[in-house]
Amino acid sequence: MVGGGCCPSMELFRSEPMQLVQLIIPIESAHMTISYLGDLGLIQFKDLNAEKSPFQRTYATQIKRCGEMARKLRFFREQMMKAGVSPSTSPARQVDIDLDDSELKLGEFEAELIEINANSEKLQRTYNELLEYKLVLQKAGEFFYTAQSSATAQQREIDAHQFDEGSIDSPLLLEQEMSADPSKQVKLGFISGLIPREKSMAFERIIFRATRGNVFLKQAAVEYSVTDPVSGEKIEKNVFVVFYSGERVKTKILKICEAFGANRYPFTDDLRKQAQIITEVSEKIAEMKTTIDVGLLHRDNLLKTIGYQFEQWDFLVRKEKSIYHTLNMLSIDVTKKCLVAEGWSPVFAIKQIQDALHRASSESNSQVGAIFQVLHTKESPPTYFRTNKFTSAFQTIVDAYGVAKYQEANPGLFTIITFPFLFAVMFGDWGHGISLFLASLFFIFREKKFSGQKLGDMTEMIFGGRYCIMLMAMFSIYTGLIYNEFFSVPFELFGKSAYACRDTLCRDATTVGLIKVGPTYPFGLDPKWHGSRSELPFLNSLKMKMSILIGVTQMNLGIVLSYFNAKFFGNGLNIWFQFIPQMIFLNSLFGYLSVLIIMKWCTGSQVDLYHIMIYMFLSPTDDLGENQLFVGQKNVQLTLLLLALVAVPWMLLPKPFLLKKQHQERHQGQSYMMLHRTDDSLEVEAHHDSHGHEEFEFSEVFVHQLIHTIEFVLGSVSNTASYLRLWALSLAHSELSSVFYEKVLLLAWGFNNIIILIIGIMVFIFATVGVLLVMETLSAFLHALRLHWVEFMNKFYEGDGYQFQPFAFALLSEEDD
Amino acid sequence: MGFLITTLIFIVTGVIASLLVRICCNRGPSGNLFHLTLVITATVCCWMMWAIVYLAQMKPLIVPILSEGE
Repeated sequence: MVGGGCCPSMELFRSEPMQLVQLIIPIESAHMTISYLGDLGLIQFKDLNAEKSPFQRTYATQIKRCGEMARKLRFFREQMMKAGVSPSTSPARQVDIDLDDSELKLGEFEAELIEINANSEKLQRTYNELLEYKLVLQKAGEFFYTAQSSATAQQREIDAHQFDEGSIDSPLLLEQEMSADPSKQVKLGFISGLIPREKSMAFERIIFRATRGNVFLKQAAVEYSVTDPVSGEKIEKNVFVVFYSGERVKTKILKICEAFGANRYPFTDDLRKQAQIITEVSEKIAEMKTTIDVGLLHRDNLLKTIGYQFEQWDFLVRKEKSIYHTLNMLSIDVTKKCLVAEGWSPVFAIKQIQDALHRASSESNSQVGAIFQVLHTKESPPTYFRTNKFTSAFQTIVDAYGVAKYQEANPGLFTIITFPFLFAVMFGDWGHGISLFLASLFFIFREKKFSGQKLGDMTEMIFGGRYCIMLMAMFSIYTGLIYNEFFSVPFELFGKSAYACRDTLCRDATTVGLIKVGPTYPFGLDPKWHGSRSELPFLNSLKMKMSILIGVTQMNLGIVLSYFNAKFFGNGLNIWFQFIPQMIFLNSLFGYLSVLIIMKWCTGSQVDLYHIMIYMFLSPTDDLGENQLFVGQKNVQLTLLLLALVAVPWMLLPKPFLLKKQHQERHQGQSYMMLHRTDDSLEVEAHHDSHGHEEFEFSEVFVHQLIHTIEFVLGSVSNTASYLRLWALSLAHSELSSVFYEKVLLLAWGFNNIIILIIGIMVFIFATVGVLLVMETLSAFLHALRLHWVEFMNKFYEGDGYQFQPFAFALLSEEDD
Repeated sequence: MGFLITTLIFIVTGVIASLLVRICCNRGPSGNLFHLTLVITATVCCWMMWAIVYLAQMKPLIVPILSEGE
């Protein structure tokens, strides 16, 4: 499939010539070699160990090491984010840091960080407990004495009651405090603590039930939320004091407190001691605070130190991991102590690769240098286009439909111009074009800043397409000048209008209309058309015919590109039995229509083109009558019709038979297959002898050709009609724009009120930006894209190649695999 | 007459643009051919659009009928 160049080579027209290379690398220099090749980024390695599982591969342990280090780095990153420290983005000295060193350091840092975290957690918990204790002391102190006296009163009542009943087991209930004499001082025990407010009601109820009402509970709410020592969250809590008598009751209450998660704190009823305890606790709290702060400062410093080298480490770990992954793809030649690598690389990169190999061998002091050889194979190479920041957007648009087959004609080349052009035909307004242009300039001037940042999805897409948008805007300005629309207002920029009133009083300007008095308006649409009653019939006819002419041109370009493809791949069959009949068919029908359109415009005749085309098919031999546009039209039409009819079987029939004959010839002369070089690696052969014996199914080929023919014939009508969307969207755009202008801006102007005018202007701006600049842009973008993908590219594009994905450090993705 | 003159202007603009591009970014034969293709495509597209709109207005079949209040 060597290319025959009829014409000099053009960048981006065909993908770079690629070759399959084999590298034999001695083991000692393997790591360094792969590292240099990764810097170069021009080889796509093939996986020679595809059958092995990840655990069976040679460098699995190294990858695990890198995985561990990556985990530690992730942990650091989390901690840094939580503490609000960002890794320093300065590129720092490009010191070559060693992997083993980094591993040790990472381990140290991790241990230290974990320890600091554990300590500060403990400190924080103690601190919160102290705070709660202080709260209990303060709050309980407020209501303690009143509560105690009510509790004592209640207890006396209960005692009296019980004593009155004289139950037998009352002596058993008494442990210490109760005496037979009710006048004696009642000794109560109490428990104090904090309980979450939401559980307080249930707490009270259960205590009441469990102790059969023999306790007195007093609660007071804390105004602000308290940090719970256990969970660390801020919860609304109540301070409670429970007065009870009896040991059994005490244990029950304690159990209930535990179940409800109420934190208990000791409380003394001694007033003096209370004040002392409060001051002690406050001191301790202040101490804790300082300790915690110091701890946090220490941790932040540690994180900052980590942050200086974080990006470097991150990059190093990812780089090493990718190097080991690549090394795993090479096959080991155990006998010769070297690794064999196979990969695709562009032909122009030979020198660079060999340089990298030499450098690696000399730097790693190995005895033997690496061996570089080119392999010959029938496999299809990957597709590689060398794009820059300007052309990459357009190439992405084409690749989204399908990656080009190796070295077929690349529609991306023409897309750079035709895509913005078709967009502009649908968008034509030079006011909107200027706004879009300014927006694209904003992104272009901030290129450096944006390319370093991480942008959101939408912004990323717009930023990636900034040059595309700039071209779209420039073409829109041009088509806007031609359609003569500046936010739907026409201007007389290029000379005087050609139309004027029939007489000086302009009496029938609104009935019969103006007449053409001067030369045609030199550039674009005459400004007198805008706002007139016959504007739409004229513009519709103009834009429809324009769409057909543009469509026929683009489709012809597509078919011509298929000729260049056939020439390049040396496929004569395709030229004689596909390209020529396709051209004849398309042009004898729609090319003829285009010629008729132009002739009608040039002669100003009033024939109906619909009639001409329809009767050309229905009754070609009839007399033309009023449908005659030029002399000899009937004969011309008959000839064209015959040519089109002949072209269809020409496309369909000969090719399958000739393909069959070709296959038979090839098969006869081929008794043996090509001998493969008996080389070192046996694995190489296994991959290369695939395409020895091709099958040829005649029925399959015939059906394929039939489908192709029908698709082309029917498609020529439908694709031509599809280009009418250029008219439809352009009409929609100009109508929307004129509605916003007339019904918003002019209406607001008519009120002669400054406030209404300002409101009107705001509404006009929002509507223009939202509907016309955003929605219409997307819409026209989408339709121009469809016209390219379907109507243009299905004439010649195969698009079943695969992308060249070299091993390059510059292309390492953010996520770990 | 105006049609031919303006077509000539387009051709001249195309030639000047390709010369400018050749002067400013000279990148070897394949790169130059690439730039030339882009300039020619753009010139042809722009000329085609202008020519279509001009031809359509040369001998019009309908004329502007002003709406009331113009």
